[in-house]
Amino acid sequence: MSGTDDRVAVAASGVWPEDVEDDETAVVVNWFAREGRRVEEGETICEIQIEKVSIDVPAPVTGELVAIERGEDAELTREDVLAYVAPG
Amino acid sequence: MSEQEQRAVERELTMSRAMVEAVAHEMREDEEVFYMGEDVADYGGIFDSTEGLLEEFGRDRIMDVPISETAYLGAAVGAAQEGMRPIAELMFVDFFGVAMDQIYNQMAKNTYMSGGAVNVPMVLTAAVGGTYNDAAQHSQTLYGTFAHLPGMKVVVPSTAYDAKGLMHNAIRDDDPVVYLFHKRLMGIGWMPAPDGPKTPVPEEEYTIPFGSADVKREGEDATVVTLGLHVHRALEAADALAEDGIDAEVIDLRTLVPLDTETIHESVAKTGRLVVVDEDYQSYGVTGEIIASVAEDGLADLEAVERVAVPDVPLPYARPMENEVVPDSEDIESAVRSAHDA
Amino acid sequence: MFEEMATARYYEERLQEEYLEGKQPAFDISAGPIPGELHLAAGQEAAAAGVCRHLRDDDTVTAPHRPHHVAIAKGVDLKRMTAEIFGRESGLSSGKGGHMHLFDPDAGFACSGIIAQGCPPAVGAGLAAKKRNEDSVAVAFLGEGAISQGAFLESLNLAAVQQLPVVFVIEDNDWAISMPKERVTDVADGSRRAGGFDMPGVRVDYDDATAVYDAAKEAVGRARAGNGPTLLEVQVHRRMGHFMGDPESYRPDEDVAAAEQRDSIERLADDLRSEGVEDDELEAIREEARERVDEAIEWAKEQPEPDPDAAYEDVFVNPPSGVTAQEPDHELAGGDD
Repeated sequence: MSGTDDRVAVAASGVWPEDVEDDETAVVVNWFAREGRRVEEGETICEIQIEKVSIDVPAPVTGELVAIERGEDAELTREDVLAYVAPG
Repeated sequence: MSEQEQRAVERELTMSRAMVEAVAHEMREDEEVFYMGEDVADYGGIFDSTEGLLEEFGRDRIMDVPISETAYLGAAVGAAQEGMRPIAELMFVDFFGVAMDQIYNQMAKNTYMSGGAVNVPMVLTAAVGGTYNDAAQHSQTLYGTFAHLPGMKVVVPSTAYDAKGLMHNAIRDDDPVVYLFHKRLMGIGWMPAPDGPKTPVPEEEYTIPFGSADVKREGEDATVVTLGLHVHRALEAADALAEDGIDAEVIDLRTLVPLDTETIHESVAKTGRLVVVDEDYQSYGVTGEIIASVAEDGLADLEAVERVAVPDVPLPYARPMENEVVPDSEDIESAVRSAHDA
Repeated sequence: MFEEMATARYYEERLQEEYLEGKQPAFDISAGPIPGELHLAAGQEAAAAGVCRHLRDDDTVTAPHRPHHVAIAKGVDLKRMTAEIFGRESGLSSGKGGHMHLFDPDAGFACSGIIAQGCPPAVGAGLAAKKRNEDSVAVAFLGEGAISQGAFLESLNLAAVQQLPVVFVIEDNDWAISMPKERVTDVADGSRRAGGFDMPGVRVDYDDATAVYDAAKEAVGRARAGNGPTLLEVQVHRRMGHFMGDPESYRPDEDVAAAEQRDSIERLADDLRSEGVEDDELEAIREEARERVDEAIEWAKEQPEPDPDAAYEDVFVNPPSGVTAQEPDHELAGGDD
């Protein structure tokens, strides 16, 4: 398994709507992968809801989903880390 | 590999995404498949039943239609009789009333009345169910109504895995299929689902044959037969009962027509106790039908019978009253205890 | 008219606040003080106020799933209506109906959550008036999405052929949830459907309450005089989405902006000012409306929730013995008991 430093953070910043403030609170609605799953870059791995809109969050790289930092129902803002993927 | 590890590596989907995946697959494979309904294009279905399909297939195949259920459900019947494979969505099953003739006099009967000369290979999808206080005109399941009228196959998925396999089968079936999805199970952000409907779902296609009930939990002491949302409420009840040493088997019917009586009879032969749970009205419905079928063929096995359903009242709006009439896991638990102690 | 419109607008703004309580940041339809879906009518006040100004208590109105502004204009008991929306025992329907199913027979008001299905009962009210030789009238309100529905077209025909005292009012807010009008009908002017039934049809441009008032005066007068039905279409705006929680991502930004800019209440206020009404008179009316609404909401929230067992009442007014709905006793059958 890759070292901790190689992990790539999964964040909602890439899909954050332009008209929503960075510090607006979003909520994790669904995870589609559990820790330990191999994910492909671009694959939808979770869904968040922000201002009533559901948004899919893709995996940033191909690799293993090693840690979910914010589970279902957890709150987040634009730069918060949702999970980590170990590339490979 | 343990079940836990297996789950860790599989992709999980909500029920709505699993349904959409099956529809998209069939639409790629067969140009004769198209989807019609209110708010199914840009909106993606009020309950996410067509989310994302417009982008891939365009307006010709993901068709928003006027609020004219008689016309567009009837048009689906006509197109199906021409050999196409339309999927037509009723936004809420409660709206069937405005187009019932096309559903039960045309769609359901044309095969029979033509002596099999025509067939109607369409899918009628509709959102069902309560639990979110939408009152009497937007909360029904009407399972028994559709299953009662001959000529329609009736499908009620309870998990993402089942929803996908049953949808593949529904679209490929040469008869009209009524596919009833429970709003509370879809995994929509604004209507959180219970634990359970989101499951691992294979990316490849697969079918689940109609008429095959699924034992969602094995048990020795009582048989709980149910469908839709109440599969999950029954499983919750079974967990609570297990703490008291009562081992309930939970059977998910998955289709009402055809009905898998064999799985039910085998289970009752083992447990001797039958509890039927339904979110539809109690009288003249699913509970009575299941109990009658067991009584006809397995009366000697039957030591106790209970049914848990919506008492014969329209669904009320205010929360205390809706909670009273829609069965919850505690109602199921107490019915199983009654049957067990009988 | 200004009073009813100001009341209805403030009412919807306050209900929006109440509805969203407990629904942020996660919007969960089951959370917060108001149960179920909520369809608010801000931007549609002109249609209701302009028509209902001509109605009496013994006239009948049916409204669709977006009914509050019509109920207010027709004089429905505001406190009991609000209690119903909050699902309380003192509500119009003791908490059984909710916001899409408000019934106030004293005010001659009912509504239905099913598209266009309020039209036939309005025809029936007109039929009853005609049979009894009374001069009361019936008005059916519906959205422009409903004009593609059979129940509406059948009702037009029946009212016309029987020359019944009915006025059909289409509130055209351009959107049937996510479907813009041009994608569901090739006849943009809904009032033209009247021609197919040989009845008068009138269309009123966006948000002109005074024009609605004038058109409705003629239509209601025609019905009351026994000269048959009329179809009105009033262009309005949907300012708060189809339902609370509707992200409206399908709707172009400029359309939302247009709805916000055009305001029938401000337009009427301008009309009134030009006729010499002072600003402080208008503000006094608004203030009174706010007080009345706040009082109704406060009262409603103080009311108790219904007893769960009340769910078994009211299926019939005269329950036949043995057919009354009863709570299941879980002992319907069984081996030894």
